[in-house]
Amino acid sequence: MTQYRMVRLPEDLCVEAEKWLTGRFENLETMVCFLVREMIREDANKLDQAEEQLIQQRLRELGYI
Amino acid sequence: MTKRSLVLITVDCLRADHVGVQRYSQSVTPFLDSLAKNSVVFSDAIVAGAPTYFSFPAILASRYPLGLGRDILGIAPNEPTIATALRDAGYRTAAFIAGNPYLSSRFGYHHGFDEFHDLLDATPYGESQRVIQANKGLSNLNRRLEAASRFTLLTASLYNEVYFRYCQWRSARQGLSLDQLRRYPAAHVVIDQACSWLSELRDGHVFLWVHLMDPHHPYYPPLEAQSELGASHVSARRARFLNAFWDRGDIAVKRLRRHREEILSLYDAGVYWVDKQISRLVDFLRQSNRWDETVFAVTADHGEEFLENGNRYHSPTSLSEQLIHVPLIIRTPESSGVRISQSAFSLVHLAPTLLEAVGTAIPESFQGQSRWKQVVTGNPQAEPAIAECIEGCTNPDQVENRIRPRLLAIRDRQYKLVIRFSDRTDFLYDLENDPGEQSPLPTGVLTGERVRLLQAALAHLERTRRNRSADLALRARLCELRHSLGSKREPTAPALVSG
Repeated sequence: MTQYRMVRLPEDLCVEAEKWLTGRFENLETMVCFLVREMIREDANKLDQAEEQLIQQRLRELGYI
Repeated sequence: MTKRSLVLITVDCLRADHVGVQRYSQSVTPFLDSLAKNSVVFSDAIVAGAPTYFSFPAILASRYPLGLGRDILGIAPNEPTIATALRDAGYRTAAFIAGNPYLSSRFGYHHGFDEFHDLLDATPYGESQRVIQANKGLSNLNRRLEAASRFTLLTASLYNEVYFRYCQWRSARQGLSLDQLRRYPAAHVVIDQACSWLSELRDGHVFLWVHLMDPHHPYYPPLEAQSELGASHVSARRARFLNAFWDRGDIAVKRLRRHREEILSLYDAGVYWVDKQISRLVDFLRQSNRWDETVFAVTADHGEEFLENGNRYHSPTSLSEQLIHVPLIIRTPESSGVRISQSAFSLVHLAPTLLEAVGTAIPESFQGQSRWKQVVTGNPQAEPAIAECIEGCTNPDQVENRIRPRLLAIRDRQYKLVIRFSDRTDFLYDLENDPGEQSPLPTGVLTGERVRLLQAALAHLERTRRNRSADLALRARLCELRHSLGSKREPTAPALVSG
């Protein structure tokens, strides 16, 4: 089960964000979750690492590492 | 070195082997062939990526398309380019782009230009295409027929054929001309604007970038181009049919091949039109006394496939020679006689090479190096060129499409290694004996060459990792998010699931 944590945001920022998010997000929580998730995504880096490892493995197979 | 002006012409989809100086059997580039007689011709110029969105970061910013990671599409925020370097050196800078959305300000290509015209709003010849209004009753009937036809392969294929013919019949009734059918401003429209900008300038050095789209599909060359080429004339109606036929995804390659020659003649007419308009620009530079102080470069962002390996157009599903081998001609005021540079030359080195040729400092962030001295002295560096793309990423706008395995080609003059990360395979080709890349060499044959190219691939990926900047990626992600959320497009589904 997902654990939650309270985060404090300035009231005026929340009001502005709520005006903006209409039609984009259900509410402020979904917007913040979306933005944070996007900011910390690591999938691209993991793919790069996997590609590097694949070449290393190929070189190993050919006896050059 | 004396400072000089720079004109860079990039042509979308222009493959090397359709330019006369690269020994194309048809004479569709008479001007470029004559220009080549007093220029450096790079017979093995290789793009750093394909298509346009994976190629241009190297051409303008001397950076591999994935060189800053998969988060950066186009020019990164504040990334130095050849345009910013020249503007900072006091040049007047302008770009005229024939309506390619991937080269617009949204992707940062305007940076460094005093004048930037992407011509995305320009309708060719100022005419608008008429849209066939849908008939709701017919559309519903069509949907029911289409669903019913899916029961067997035979009925599905029969439906597709009838529907295709019906669409052709409907659209032919519009009677549109080639000029009305064209999707992008033709080369003469773009060159007119470039000349107009040049004519308003007084003295001083200029950097002019012109991007032409005439060889890009759908292939609707000006009628004049076809007439001057003397080829059998293809009417607008026929061209519309050919383009629609060529675009079909529901028929076998064998059947598509029936119209390959006609499609090629339309493509060649587009190439011819580009050649003719480049000639007009050079005439203008001569008349305005700029030619003798101008470095002039012509290249392409990628080539085009015509079923050589079963593919059409230029999607990032392969890095075939038809896609990555492009023409490159550099003419300087002191050029005399043709000089052929035969080593593989990556376009990642183009921007620094041009900057040195015009006597301007090269930004430190450039991943390529100037090869100007080697080119001038005839001592080209023998190092493999690297081309990369994200396999199957035909819609790079969405980040999910960019989080896919890469396709990597390491290409020197004789050998080419293609690494397909999606299925963990690699293919080594001997281009001298197998220029069509039909027979990859089996593992165990020429192991030394395979290892050498694999090592170059590994060095490339390690360099990429070192150059990656978390801050830059974050800024790019924020820009992208702002754009996608600003357009009120639904964000990706998983992110919207709360809690």
